[in-house]
Amino acid sequence: MGKIYDRLAQDYRIKEGLKACIGCGTCTAICPAAEFYRYNPKKIVTIVQSRDDDAIIELLKSDVIWYCGECLSCVTRCPRKNAPGLVIVALRALSIELGYFAESEKGRQQLPLMHALQRNVLNYGYCVYPMTFAYEMHPEYGLVGKWQKEHIQDVYERLGAHLGQVGPGALRKIPQESLDELTAIFDLTGATRWMEIVEEKSQEKAREMGLSIEEYEAQAFTQTNACHLNPEN
Amino acid sequence: MSQNIVVIGGGPAGIEASRRLRDLGYTPLLVEKEPVLGGHLARWDRLFPDGVEARSVLEPMLQDLDGIKYFTDTEISSINRLKDTWVVKFSNGLSAQVRAILMTTGFDLFKAEKKEEYGYGIYERVITNADLEAWFKSGAAPQFDHVHTIGFVHCVGSRDEKAGNRQCSKVCCVTAVKQACEFKEKFPETTVYCFYMDLRMFGRKFEDLYLKAQKEYGIRFVRGRVSEVSEDIDGHLFVKAEDTLFGKPMKIKMDMLVLMAGMTPAADTQELSRMVNILPGEDGFFQPQSLVSNPCTSSREGIFFAGTATGPKTLPETLSEAGAAALAIDRYLKTPLK
Amino acid sequence: MLYQGKQKIWADYQKEIPNDHWFYVRSCIRQTFFPASEKMFLEILRNRLGKDIYETPSHTTCGGIAYHSEAIPQETVMTIIARQFALMTEAGYENYVCSCITSFGLYNEVMEDWREFPELEAKIRENLWKATRREFKIPKYLAHASDLIYKFRNEIAEQAKFRLVNKNTGEPLRVVEHIGCHYSKMFPSKGVGGAEYPYVLTGMVESWGGEVIDYPERRHCCGFGFRQYLVKANRGYSVSNTHKKFESMEPFEPDMIITNCPGCPYFLDRWQYVIAEQTGKTYGKDGYGIPVFTYEEVAGLVLGYDPWDLGLQTHQVAVEPLLDKIGIPYHPEDKYKGLNGKQLQRPEFPMNIKCC
Repeated sequence: MGKIYDRLAQDYRIKEGLKACIGCGTCTAICPAAEFYRYNPKKIVTIVQSRDDDAIIELLKSDVIWYCGECLSCVTRCPRKNAPGLVIVALRALSIELGYFAESEKGRQQLPLMHALQRNVLNYGYCVYPMTFAYEMHPEYGLVGKWQKEHIQDVYERLGAHLGQVGPGALRKIPQESLDELTAIFDLTGATRWMEIVEEKSQEKAREMGLSIEEYEAQAFTQTNACHLNPEN
Repeated sequence: MSQNIVVIGGGPAGIEASRRLRDLGYTPLLVEKEPVLGGHLARWDRLFPDGVEARSVLEPMLQDLDGIKYFTDTEISSINRLKDTWVVKFSNGLSAQVRAILMTTGFDLFKAEKKEEYGYGIYERVITNADLEAWFKSGAAPQFDHVHTIGFVHCVGSRDEKAGNRQCSKVCCVTAVKQACEFKEKFPETTVYCFYMDLRMFGRKFEDLYLKAQKEYGIRFVRGRVSEVSEDIDGHLFVKAEDTLFGKPMKIKMDMLVLMAGMTPAADTQELSRMVNILPGEDGFFQPQSLVSNPCTSSREGIFFAGTATGPKTLPETLSEAGAAALAIDRYLKTPLK
Repeated sequence: MLYQGKQKIWADYQKEIPNDHWFYVRSCIRQTFFPASEKMFLEILRNRLGKDIYETPSHTTCGGIAYHSEAIPQETVMTIIARQFALMTEAGYENYVCSCITSFGLYNEVMEDWREFPELEAKIRENLWKATRREFKIPKYLAHASDLIYKFRNEIAEQAKFRLVNKNTGEPLRVVEHIGCHYSKMFPSKGVGGAEYPYVLTGMVESWGGEVIDYPERRHCCGFGFRQYLVKANRGYSVSNTHKKFESMEPFEPDMIITNCPGCPYFLDRWQYVIAEQTGKTYGKDGYGIPVFTYEEVAGLVLGYDPWDLGLQTHQVAVEPLLDKIGIPYHPEDKYKGLNGKQLQRPEFPMNIKCC
């Protein structure tokens, strides 16, 4: 039992999610990520269960832990009351803390993802917000979405939203005091620290890859290798 | 006048123990809540490993009940301790004062509808091992035409924390293999799958049956617990499981699915335990003094167990235990009181 | 299909849902893509049913999407949630209703964690005090907004002007119901009907005259997957999951889809557009898609609200064929107008999927 496993075992997601796996495969049978990606939640839980630090570190550095879509279908089915989805979240958290995320293509996506989400939460108080939801980044939003963005004030008004306005209502302007409280929470509980870690490690990795940080971030957001996909599909 | 002994439960354990007790000179009072004696054995067609007909075991037993007083459609209303005896009241109004009670209450089959993701009771083409065995026994026409593919799902309600049963039900694996072979005998063109986690072929000749299933019957064994069953527009089933040996999730279309429902503690166990003031085990089965050396005696004077009342067992084990319980009772009754 | 089998399961998974006095928190995705739905939820509960539903402007995101994208650690999201509970406590409420399914799942998970690990709850209380000087009580009841509409589905049926019935054939509409994964997959007992045969939407559909269809991939995730959608490189995962569902439901010829999660209707709607533009395939009749609705939109439709007040003009898959089937009147010329009839330039239409 090594140091990495010990650290992982402190995570509440492991305490909740890893009782003992018998390798029956009901989780993998139902997992959407196992259908489309080269992913197998049973294998990952078995590796964590083995308490083999080297194998776990390899996981933390690999693309594999980033395939899960956190639908938690695995939790419904496991006969031992394990939660592979929660084990994955714990692995991801540790991968970020230790900086290993930057070693994999899917892990490097943390930079653009965290930027977008943390900024939305701290600046506006929402995880997703129309003013920062760019049609160019989301063509699947549809031609009606494009229209909605082009006429943003009129459309949201028509729908009865309260976009950027004071008082209760959809998409209201959340009071600055509340946003300040969120910042204080971020600073105290580690979200700010995570952002610092991710930015620092991403800078290092970008340098290593010979990219500017902007190039690195853009690549992380858009690039994907076919090697991730399940060949059966 | 010979001593009375109350035997609660008229399945193979109760019947066999009653015969041995009678042979030892006692008068068993055999109480059975169903309308007929025989328990689950009365509903089975053929037994593993050799395919012996169940009735060839049960019928000789049922023809040898002279000297045994048995009451069907009868339950236990109350049991109370009176000095060194037990006063037992039956639901038919009779009562008995005895020094020994033998609990042979057996098991209940796991209610497969509780495993909601398998769709028993919702999808018509999903049946249980009990349903299939009953159909084999009845000799009736098949319910569904053109069963091209059939699957047997091991561990339904067993080894399942979510279903509330951690225990392995012991006999379902060999029963699944038996039924798979029997089905293939009747319908040689059908593709037969067995979805298992471990294949528990522990008894003599069981591995031979497994080998036969593979070689002669071409049964396909998939090591993966079934995760979900769903129904197509034409009523056929989709089964999702992972082939864990290949590490691949699979979705197979089936015409029928047989759920191997496991053994759970009989519903009466809690109530009877309360009546005689003993605690059942954490898993809900009766708790003998020792699972190893004293499987028939309980922690209470004059209360004995035999058969699946204390946990999943095969039929030969049950019959042996019934004999052992009879001897234990005899020993107890012949020991002078302190 | 033996309906009685499902009824037995539904009988097992009933949960207590209080009648009144709720503290309401909104959903980031619902507000961004379906703000009219949230407005309709409050309209129905406050004005049609006379309930007390309170919203404070100071409430924020629960942080769920950020948490499930590993943008923030668990301790942060628990403290944000604690802050939300503090706002509820300060406003004098003990019943908490949230609009988002991810939130619902996360609130349940957090409360379970605190129940099992009291030291964790103590730590979060300390965090909240240090960061904001607030204190909180744990809600007595937690419901999802769809639970409330479910609870009052018969009252809504009584007031309804329309039913989910094909007005030409008299047949109930064939409805696909899609439940958000985080509603009951993690804690089946916290969802009405459990995880395998959830009843929260089925109950609404049946009460309003429709017929629910069971198809093989009914329980399958729509494929949001958080990072699997939010990062462009991963979107193949997201659309593949939705595609799988549509391929599975196609033979059953559904008339419409009803959902209770904020994200799912967005994905089930927009991915139909993407699949059509990329492959030419559509799943509805005559080149249309299968219209996807939030439960508030369906409730609003049966109650007789104007489809454009309900925000249906912002769906990519056209709803008009369904409105025609039910016999709900609408003004096509008003579809893309702003408030007070303000003229706006209309959106372009896609190549391969019919829109109105």
